[in-house]
Amino acid sequence: MHRYRFVLYRPIQLIPVLFGISVITFVLIRLIPGDPARVLLGTRATPTAIANIRAQYGLDEPLLTQYVYFVKNLFAGEMGRSILYKVDVVQLIGTRIEPTLALVAMGVVLSLLISVPFATISARRQGTLADHTVRMLSTAGIGFPSFWLGAMLIILFAVKLDWLPVSGYGGTFGEKLQHLVLPGLTIALSLSAILTRSLRAGMIAGLKSDIATAARARGMSEGVVFWRHVLPNALVPTVNLLAVNIGWLIGGTVVVESVFAVTGLGQLMARGIFTRDYMVVQGVALAFACATVLVNFLADIITVVLDPRIEL
Amino acid sequence: MTAPAQTFPAGRWSQWLGQRPILLIGLAILGTFLMTAIFARFVAPYDPLFQDGAARLLPPSMAHPFGTDNFGRDVLSRVIWGARVDLQMAVIGVVFPFLIGTAVGTIAGYFGGWIDTVLMRVIDVVLAFPFLVLMLSIISILGPGLASFYIAMALVGWVSYARLVRAQILVLKTQDFSVAAASLGFSRRRIMFRHLLPNALAGSLVFVMSDAVLVLLNGAAISYLGLGVQPPTAEWGIMVAEAQGFITQAWWITLFPGLAIVTLAFGFSLTGDALADVMGVQE
Amino acid sequence: MMPLLDIQNLSVTFRDGEERRELLRDISVHLGKGEILGLVGESGSGKSLLCRAVIGLLPSSKLHVTGGRVLLNGQELTDTAAVRGRPIGMIFQNPTSHLDPVMTIGKQISEGLIRHRGLSRPEAGREGIALLDQVGFPDPAAAFVSYPHTFSGGMRQRAMIAIALACDPEILIADEPTTALDVTIQAQILQLLMDLRDRRGLSIILVTHDLGVVAQTCDRIAVMRNGQIVEVGEKRALLAHPHHPYTRQLIASHPSLSHASDEVPVHAHHKAPLFQVQDLRVEFASGGWLGGRKTFRALKDVSFDIWPGETVGIVGESGSGKSTLARAMLGLVPITAGEVLFEGQSLTKAPTATLKALRNHAAMVFQDPFNSLNPRMTIGQTIAEVLQSQGETPVEQIPARVDELLDMVGLERALAGRRPRSLSGGQCQRAGIARALAVNPRVILADECVAALDVTIQAQIVALFRKLAADHGLTLIFIAHDLAIVRNLCERVVVMHHGQIVEDGPSARVFAQPARAYTRALIAAIPDIDPDRPINGGINPETQQEYAT
Repeated sequence: MHRYRFVLYRPIQLIPVLFGISVITFVLIRLIPGDPARVLLGTRATPTAIANIRAQYGLDEPLLTQYVYFVKNLFAGEMGRSILYKVDVVQLIGTRIEPTLALVAMGVVLSLLISVPFATISARRQGTLADHTVRMLSTAGIGFPSFWLGAMLIILFAVKLDWLPVSGYGGTFGEKLQHLVLPGLTIALSLSAILTRSLRAGMIAGLKSDIATAARARGMSEGVVFWRHVLPNALVPTVNLLAVNIGWLIGGTVVVESVFAVTGLGQLMARGIFTRDYMVVQGVALAFACATVLVNFLADIITVVLDPRIEL
Repeated sequence: MTAPAQTFPAGRWSQWLGQRPILLIGLAILGTFLMTAIFARFVAPYDPLFQDGAARLLPPSMAHPFGTDNFGRDVLSRVIWGARVDLQMAVIGVVFPFLIGTAVGTIAGYFGGWIDTVLMRVIDVVLAFPFLVLMLSIISILGPGLASFYIAMALVGWVSYARLVRAQILVLKTQDFSVAAASLGFSRRRIMFRHLLPNALAGSLVFVMSDAVLVLLNGAAISYLGLGVQPPTAEWGIMVAEAQGFITQAWWITLFPGLAIVTLAFGFSLTGDALADVMGVQE
Repeated sequence: MMPLLDIQNLSVTFRDGEERRELLRDISVHLGKGEILGLVGESGSGKSLLCRAVIGLLPSSKLHVTGGRVLLNGQELTDTAAVRGRPIGMIFQNPTSHLDPVMTIGKQISEGLIRHRGLSRPEAGREGIALLDQVGFPDPAAAFVSYPHTFSGGMRQRAMIAIALACDPEILIADEPTTALDVTIQAQILQLLMDLRDRRGLSIILVTHDLGVVAQTCDRIAVMRNGQIVEVGEKRALLAHPHHPYTRQLIASHPSLSHASDEVPVHAHHKAPLFQVQDLRVEFASGGWLGGRKTFRALKDVSFDIWPGETVGIVGESGSGKSTLARAMLGLVPITAGEVLFEGQSLTKAPTATLKALRNHAAMVFQDPFNSLNPRMTIGQTIAEVLQSQGETPVEQIPARVDELLDMVGLERALAGRRPRSLSGGQCQRAGIARALAVNPRVILADECVAALDVTIQAQIVALFRKLAADHGLTLIFIAHDLAIVRNLCERVVVMHHGQIVEDGPSARVFAQPARAYTRALIAAIPDIDPDRPINGGINPETQQEYAT
């Protein structure tokens, strides 16, 4: 099982990236003009609070020392306090992470549920009306702005048809699921446009490939050729594409959560930017970056499982 | 991979274009938007900022084909004027990343070694952040506005081009024709600019089109969030944001600016697809 | 006796809108039970298309069978899909792209066993392992659960044969099954196909571009050109008395027939050697950080000299290090240890001066004629660029010099304005040679430069090289996996294996009396156009196993 050895050493290889992420988030905040203590605590901070934060982050020390303090605090699970919410940022992220995770999961699942069937129909009936429709929709779909798509879905399903709640995030599991359908769909529609195009291209290439020709020459039916040979080979690049787009997906939650007033990390970040709650912005950006790194690592594992040729 | 772009005599241009309907439609859409933006003053029926207190939230009619908004402004005129801002965002937001990224990618791919290692690590780190999150973080520091958007784009957007061009250069470097160029004693500059870069550019020129879509969407999204262009400027993202309060009463304020974005993006995508086809680039 | 497969007046047409082209015209050929029919032709002759047409797997929906019929056991074949796998199986040129990489070999074999022979999965497992044993897998049970990429090209082709056999065919269509393989492996695969014919009574259509391959394995030969069969006949009769001029040309172009006299001029070594290679070692790093860094040693202490005016062939199978050697000699790959001297100057000790001398006096010709020319430049621009960069030809004389160079390699001057993609492989290769000649070199290194070309074109390019070497006193270093071509062209041959030189000497001597077992095996494996020479020179394949990696 030496092919899976990378699961052990890859985290070590990720250290430089994680280091880079911490440097960028650190530097971003220091770039804000003005007294950093005031920037971090807001204009109405008490002198004691300012003295405290100066000590905790070493704000009077040189920049390099400040960075060391920053990392030390990170390891201690300290990312500062939110000005607006008056709670620790780590704690705040903890309470807001669930809706975002659920939203992203919903987006991924829905986009696969949409793109796999559409790509299949399109690729297997290449040149037909169905294929042209799917191609046009997926080409156009890439250009759907999520804030607008979300609003249109609200108009259609919540206002006109009154099937689903307009916005917010419920308390019970069922309510939560109901509230997540429209935002999940908003994310999924954009993503599935990208996935459908790639899957379709992969499937068409697969149907024309030597592998398919060889299988047909052995007397395999078109169904067997497609489901057993073409699809598994087309899935490998799709997983990678999904991983590449996970950043897009996570970034999308900032917009979509604002549209649907879902109380997740994305909305937290958007609010943080408006209220100049920089500790929150920093914390969420850091969390999102780490999540992206983690997802890419998972995608690597899935790729290795799917394609026996790949060694990492 | 790259196939040669064939050259055609100028007289056969229209015929050549006629055989490529996708490219024709794509360019026609882009051209229409460009013309609309340039001649907005003459095309728009009303002043985009003029508030007609007597004509609030009117549904589409002959007088106001796209209806009016809550201030009584003509939505059609605002959509037309919005083309100026959004088209400008898409173009400027692509140009700088393209130039920076191509230069960085070429250098990293061609020279390799520690330059490449350092640049690739930087790219890895930038890519670790979700694009929009990093954009928003930078804009939050620089303060809202179009200039901040362009600066953030230049700081973040180049990485995709750099990665793309670097990958191309690495492949091209091992191709026999560049080994031949090296074996014939051509200068590094000649190999880079005559042999590697022209072949590597095809891929990133195609990517420019799909990137324009992403930039347009992000630019509009940032304005929607209130961090880009500021009201009362007519811009499609802001229009959708402003319409949100009236979503239950006046769907048209939301619908039309969004459709404008979708159509312009569609034009970019079609042109990109057609270019990929013409230049033999696989995405 | 009624033939097993009888193709009568088959025509295939390409239709696209108004455009119509007949790609196969009135093909009639038959295959008897237990017979091996060789279908020979160059690229574009329609030989693969014919095979595809028989089982109804035309590669494009714009192709249509427009005439004729196919009889199987005397019955007209109406549903081509029903005969695929059983009774007509097929194997292909490139086993790597035709095997499903994400499915084990066992699963791919079982697919056929279950579908065509109705076996249960456990039965299919047992039968599949037996089949892998039959096609020569040393550990069939392990191979059954392995993925294709874990095997070498030769073993992958064996796996593909096993997968075809799993469907229990009576007829096997083998489309260029050995073209992608090294000669020694090719001989083994051909031997396997002949064994299968004997053991299973299989009838085989062997499609190939190499007359040597069919001469030694087939019973009858059909020669195809431009979508037509120009000649069919029993192989000895056809090879001895070809009727059609094209068949004659094909036979004459076959490299196994020695054109050059065996007496080669022996060079007086009173001059200083042009190249001196001393204990040359080249290593490449492989594997990554923390993943266990390994070095791959491409060249292991190689030493030899090249004298001015020599034509030296460097031969070896894939992975022997022959291309690396050429590139290291030109200073294109870093040298790990050892020395390369060009005209007495050391590439390692005085790199700048030596590289300058190399760039001015040595030029390279590459394998892939399309890939070796910049796709965005015209042929004229490509050649002119060399002249400009050298700076020895006055600018106003460059166009004239380009014309002159095109004349030298036998290209029409009008082609100077064309880009590589609009030229044929042979034309591109000539352009590549013209570019090499533009530097006015003393030595040309040709790296597998005819491997991608059709035999008749190969013969033309080899003749061109021979003429250039004679006319201009060029030193020629000709790297090839094809020993037959080297024997025709080169006066001296260097045999490489696993990064080392195993034999070095005058071609006449090396080919007549190879000193080393490896050289012997390599020479024996050359497909010969003489039908009475046994395949693989009669060498028992078992003794060759050690090279079969």
